[in-house]
Amino acid sequence: MSMASCDILRRSRHLERVESVTAETTVRHVDQLDTETLDAFYRALTADRPVSEADVDLEPGEVIVFTDYYRVART
Amino acid sequence: MTQYVIIGDGISGSSAAETLREEDPDAKITVITDEGEPLYNRILIKEHAKGKLPEAPISIHEEEWYEERDIELSLDTHVTSVDTDENVVHTHDSGDIPYDKLLVATGGTPTQLPVDNSDADGIHHFWTFQDARGIRESAEAADNAVVVGAGLLGIDFAAVCGAQGVDGKYLMRGDRWWRYALSGEGAEIMHEGMRDVGVEPVFDSGVDHFETDDDGAVTAAVDPNGDRYDCDFAGVAIGLTFNTEFLRGAGLEQDNGILVDEYMQTNVDDIYAAGDITRFYDVLLGEQAQNGSWGSAKEQGRVAAVNMAADAEEEEFQWVSSYSITHFDFPFLSFGHPTLGDEHAERKYSDTEWRRVAFKDGKIVGGVLIGDLSPQSKFKQLMRNQRVVADQAEVLLEKQVDLDNLAPEQEQ
Ligand SMILES: Cc1cc2nc3c(=O)[nH]c(=O)nc-3n(C[C@H](O)[C@H](O)[C@H](O)COP(=O)(O)OP(=O)(O)OC[C@H]3O[C@@H](n4cnc5c(N)ncnc54)[C@H](O)[C@@H]3O)c2cc1C
Repeated sequence: MSMASCDILRRSRHLERVESVTAETTVRHVDQLDTETLDAFYRALTADRPVSEADVDLEPGEVIVFTDYYRVART
Repeated sequence: MTQYVIIGDGISGSSAAETLREEDPDAKITVITDEGEPLYNRILIKEHAKGKLPEAPISIHEEEWYEERDIELSLDTHVTSVDTDENVVHTHDSGDIPYDKLLVATGGTPTQLPVDNSDADGIHHFWTFQDARGIRESAEAADNAVVVGAGLLGIDFAAVCGAQGVDGKYLMRGDRWWRYALSGEGAEIMHEGMRDVGVEPVFDSGVDHFETDDDGAVTAAVDPNGDRYDCDFAGVAIGLTFNTEFLRGAGLEQDNGILVDEYMQTNVDDIYAAGDITRFYDVLLGEQAQNGSWGSAKEQGRVAAVNMAADAEEEEFQWVSSYSITHFDFPFLSFGHPTLGDEHAERKYSDTEWRRVAFKDGKIVGGVLIGDLSPQSKFKQLMRNQRVVADQAEVLLEKQVDLDNLAPEQEQ
């Protein structure tokens, strides 16, 4: 794998479904995402593939409330 | 030094305070709220009521947030009137507060059903974090629920019942949920979602009166047909009454909300309004409109603050709002003004997928997506660009929307 694609992978995000959240977790409702971030979030979910950090305003560790709760993770 | 006063510490008031501090570092800024806690995430309190989310992640600002920005926060302070000649805000028991520029960001309060016993114990309305705490406690102990109000807030009550294992009856006036935006086909998907969580929609119904026990607790709802529904929990969400009582005599133009232009200015000098309470001039729609959504309220607060600080018409509010329902296995997103417009196109794709696009003068003004949100950003883009596309609705109803399939735009 080239350095460039390594870099992209390192700087991408994927989503993990979680059952519950702790008091310390940062949580946002999906309606707090801007249109582009919502688009990327939805693509990540439906295509089950990571999205590039550059495209989205999603912080690793935060949980997004959608049809389930999804934790944003570094890929 | 300019003195700014903001009434309301919801997302619109709070976002205005933050922006004012950025734009005017030396100003005096006061935020007044009649709630007992600083800004919290109103669109997550339903998750707390469902029993899924602890309190802490719902809080957005601690009191320190205001101190750090040298913003004076006045909690538990109810504004009783505004003297627009003297530029003073009067409060219930915290004295008078003078202003150079005032922002009204007071939102609304859920409307009570005008029927007997509508204030009985066990009957809930849903707006504040305190409401959510009460709803959670009451729903945890309940066996049977009745929900009234076939709109975006009523469905949150249905979801609370589902999540808390309470058998629910959702009494609706017409033949479907949110009949102003959905056809029968679209609504039926939502009805199935309700049934899946244990809440049965009941059509051509509503509430004629509630029955109570000797202690004043609700025991049943009786609908206009005389049908009786046992309940020890009821959720009422029939609409909002805007919090404008304190503006009586202030001379602000109102029309079920405070009238503002695209700069968030009212008709009275130095008074602005933002958030749910406004009936604003929507530059995309070309007429006055209302939004009842988080993102729009936040942006209106920001835009109002920019114009207040500039003391000029610096930036106009231009926004496509979004409102999601996340309670079911399938997603739901309403955008723009799906109940307005002069024509619409819609299609059902499967038992959980449906789409409607509303047009005015050929341009998209809103829509509803159920089950498949993939076209949302494309539709919002067309709406922002005010492109005439109603004559090409087929392209918009394709399962995979490809904007390249639209005919090239004609030069105006
Ligand atoms: C249960 C629920 C679920 C929702 N779900 C969603 C959703 O999923 N997506 C979405 O986009 N939107 C949702 N909304 C709508 C969204 O929360 C609102 O549009 C938004 O919060 C409005 O913000 P605001 O600042 O205009 O008003 P508010 O948040 O209502 O703030 C107004 C504040 O002013 C205070 N106030 C009023 N009168 C006075 C007075 N005289 N003196 C002092 N203070 C006063 C009030 O107490 C309140 O704190 C939901 C709302 C509720 C209640």
